[in-house]
Amino acid sequence: MRHVAFLRSSYGHAAITNVDFSELPPGVDVFTSATPGFDISLRALSALPGYVETDQPPLARDKVRFAGEPVAAIVAADRYLAEDAAEQLIIDYEPLAPTVSAWSLPQVPVHDAAPDNVLLSRTFDAGDVDAAFAGAAVAVRRELTTNRHGGNPIEGRAGVALWDGDRLTFWSGTQIPHLVRNLLAELLELSESQVRVVAPDVGGGFGTKAVIYPEDLALCLIARSLPGTPVKWVEDRAEHLASATAARDHHYELEAAFDADGTLLAIRGEAWCNIGAYSVYPWTAGIEPLMAGGLLTGPYKVDNYRCTVRGVATNTAPAGPYRGVARPATVYAMECLLDSGAAALGLDPFDIRRINLIGPDDVPYRMPTRLVDDTGHYGECLDVAVERIGLVELRAEQARRRTEGGKPIGIGLAAYNELTGLGRAASAGPRMPFRTGHEACTVRVNPDGKVLVLSGVTSQGQGLETTMAQVVAEVMGVPYDDVDVRYGDTDQSLWGFGAFSSRQAVIAGGATHRAAVAVRDDIIRLAAELYEANADDLVIEHGLIKVVGSPNPVGSVADVARVAYLESNRLPAGFEPGLDATRFYDPVMGAFAAGVQVAAIEIDPVTGEIEIMDWVCIEDAGKIINHQIVEGQIAGSIAQGIGGALYEHLIYDELGNLSTGTLMDYLMPTAAEIPELQIGHIERAADNPLGVRGVGEGGTLGPAAVLASAVHDAFGIEIDELPVSPAKLWTAMQTARGDV
Amino acid sequence: MKPAPFSYVRPSSVGEAVEALSATDGEGKLLAGGQSLVPLLAMRLARPTTLIDLNHVSALAGITAATGRVNFGSMTRQRDLIAQSEHPLVAEAVRWIGHAAIRSRGTIGGSLAHADPSAELPAVALATNAVLRVQGPNGDRAIAIDDWFETMLQTTIADDEILVEADLAAPTRWGFAEMARREGDFALVLAAVAEVDSHWRVVIGGVGARPWRCEAAEALLDEHTNPEQVGAAISEAVQDTVETFDDLHASASYRSAMAAHVAGQATTHALSLDRALLSDGTVVAP
Repeated sequence: MRHVAFLRSSYGHAAITNVDFSELPPGVDVFTSATPGFDISLRALSALPGYVETDQPPLARDKVRFAGEPVAAIVAADRYLAEDAAEQLIIDYEPLAPTVSAWSLPQVPVHDAAPDNVLLSRTFDAGDVDAAFAGAAVAVRRELTTNRHGGNPIEGRAGVALWDGDRLTFWSGTQIPHLVRNLLAELLELSESQVRVVAPDVGGGFGTKAVIYPEDLALCLIARSLPGTPVKWVEDRAEHLASATAARDHHYELEAAFDADGTLLAIRGEAWCNIGAYSVYPWTAGIEPLMAGGLLTGPYKVDNYRCTVRGVATNTAPAGPYRGVARPATVYAMECLLDSGAAALGLDPFDIRRINLIGPDDVPYRMPTRLVDDTGHYGECLDVAVERIGLVELRAEQARRRTEGGKPIGIGLAAYNELTGLGRAASAGPRMPFRTGHEACTVRVNPDGKVLVLSGVTSQGQGLETTMAQVVAEVMGVPYDDVDVRYGDTDQSLWGFGAFSSRQAVIAGGATHRAAVAVRDDIIRLAAELYEANADDLVIEHGLIKVVGSPNPVGSVADVARVAYLESNRLPAGFEPGLDATRFYDPVMGAFAAGVQVAAIEIDPVTGEIEIMDWVCIEDAGKIINHQIVEGQIAGSIAQGIGGALYEHLIYDELGNLSTGTLMDYLMPTAAEIPELQIGHIERAADNPLGVRGVGEGGTLGPAAVLASAVHDAFGIEIDELPVSPAKLWTAMQTARGDV
Repeated sequence: MKPAPFSYVRPSSVGEAVEALSATDGEGKLLAGGQSLVPLLAMRLARPTTLIDLNHVSALAGITAATGRVNFGSMTRQRDLIAQSEHPLVAEAVRWIGHAAIRSRGTIGGSLAHADPSAELPAVALATNAVLRVQGPNGDRAIAIDDWFETMLQTTIADDEILVEADLAAPTRWGFAEMARREGDFALVLAAVAEVDSHWRVVIGGVGARPWRCEAAEALLDEHTNPEQVGAAISEAVQDTVETFDDLHASASYRSAMAAHVAGQATTHALSLDRALLSDGTVVAP
């Protein structure tokens, strides 16, 4: 095994004028864009009109586009020696004018193909927006800026690549092993059968690892030029903060029109999403702007909607998928509009939501962006949340403190719809050359009666192996411990797109359910013949086959499996040996999950510090397979949402240097910063085999909106910029008091 | 994030450590708890030729109380500073340092020598009129804490000297207050207020390159101001005289307002008597 260190650009934007590695110590190999084979690029494709395609080289070619971009790869016996050698490598740069903001024009474009840095722009337009504004009782306007932050999984990116002369094996902490195999084969001009990708247990992903990175490609190219030697790269935290994809660096200028009773009539505006230096592969520069424009109106009914969204390149690390994709920002924007509307009309902030939420009678509700909402249970979530947090008592205490003194209390809320389990008609990603609507699963009963599940899911710690085993055990009537779930190895399972868009329980769960049903039916059919019983009368419980109503088993799954594999002489006519089924599942549409979060906060008027008093989240995540796992997903995603709302911020200076390059300055919340959470469910079955709705991301959508809404509730102060730091809140309070 | 090459020495006595340090011609670095040095090494911001590991010099750890003062060996761990009762101000301030894992490695000497202006122990040492004893090839000398901090992360210790012990006055009355963005972070601002030998010291951390004594506030306290109003008066004195800076997390105006706030809090604590320490070393119950 040899180890790779990447030498990264220290400039935000610069031409590479010379590379000198004459001083390198022996035993070290260096790779640059000039190395044979390194002339290929990642090129994220989309058929969307007006999308500007650009190349992302595995190692910077001719110029660097962000500080942290890999320029050279150094291979040595260990990482220490590789980093020592990297210091001997001299790269000469000629600085170019950098652009770090997506809402300012560049002096020197990031990519020549896009002189204004705009890689993608789209206008969503429905109804007669201007007429609705003309007839409105009230219109409000907000300009909002959200903060760049990212996944920061506890395990960073990592990979080992080995080219054995014939076949490439890539062990990678990826969320999408099958896609990586497919795309690596294409890029390296290999057949897919020559590529094996293995993603074993991975320590967190959150979308960050649903991307194919230049480092991944570089590692595989290095392996190909060093046949027989495995090469390894493990990202460190500084590399992660500087070069892994981040998200949510957006700016919104929005207006909302209401009639006198608070009914939302129209929304219009513009959004800019900073997509960083490259169009992220394979999701493209459209991942955030299209999600932002497509889901901005969230769970609220509105017929008239016009919004232009742009994906704008800058000299910062690329933006990519991160848990909740764009919607933590758009939910914040939408709820800000509602709070401003309620204030302008003198309405209660809870009432204005109730008036406008999609209800059960509206479903299926066609949103102005043509997405179809299939849950209408937002109002029910809101009612349960209000009850659970004790809104009446909180309002009384809030009023008491206003008259008698004490730290001000603010109560905030947000409602959101989480688009999950996207089938082919709603597929994740902007018209890419593939559709992510389906998954495959193989369920096999081995000759000993134990069940092997080869699933396309991957697990970054979500407990998917538990969930899938539970689905199979329940369908087949076998003990949970007899089910062995294997995933993440493209040589084992047939196909899976992997972990993103809260799709695993819905789609992989659907495929797993279908395959398990098929094998159970085969077992029952065979048992009926072997035990001379009516198939309709047979059930499987704890691995034993019984006639309904009779306590004594007629046989076991193991008995039937033995016949299927070893005693073909006992197989009835028409039965093939073996017990195994592979099924695909595609929900075609998707399943919306409903969610409402309500929180009470206490604000220190002297310091601007926020103390979270209570936090309630009620979700309709459909039928729950495993309560502990679902609640873990919700709690973790709320924690990340709170991190993004109050602490986490990747800040670039004007030259394109990352100012928050360590965890000293990039503030991840710790257990001490996250309050106890009250999580509740209303389970309304979705239209898919398990009745489930995805639950991986919804929690992240609420916190920024909830906290901004709570501050507004406490003081009437509008939060126009995230994160809400004590210093910013203190300044806003000073301004409101007229002290500044 | 791997350190540049260095050689490693593990002395078992102060004499051996001094000798090993001298042999590096100013290019060596002492390893105490390593909570700041090791990240600096990993980021290659510190590049010593030799690391002299003090963790096996047992003579450097330990706490000795005498009348009115408490002596801390430089390698005394922060977790032991919390556990001791001889110097309650130190115990209180150290609770604000990092997390349990950090405090179980971090040392008092390491923190004083690193001289981070937003760290707790440098401010407490300054507030308690500490005397630091350092040892070099030509013997030892004492440095008064007022002469210790030079600038950001720089002290007046020579390249070939080792901080051996810190002798802190046990204040008759004291208070400590801190604000940080997250639990365990370095302070945004902190205040340590202590009455030592009938004079008050008011120290603010996190506002400049060194922990800062607010002399205007000290003079006010020495004038025996009415305890009811003194917190606000101290806040005002700090607000009027502090010079501070903008950074990513706070503007200068916010930082100075918060410095004033924590100074007021610490003063109020100090005068409330409920945590005061008598000169014989006993803590007065509320």
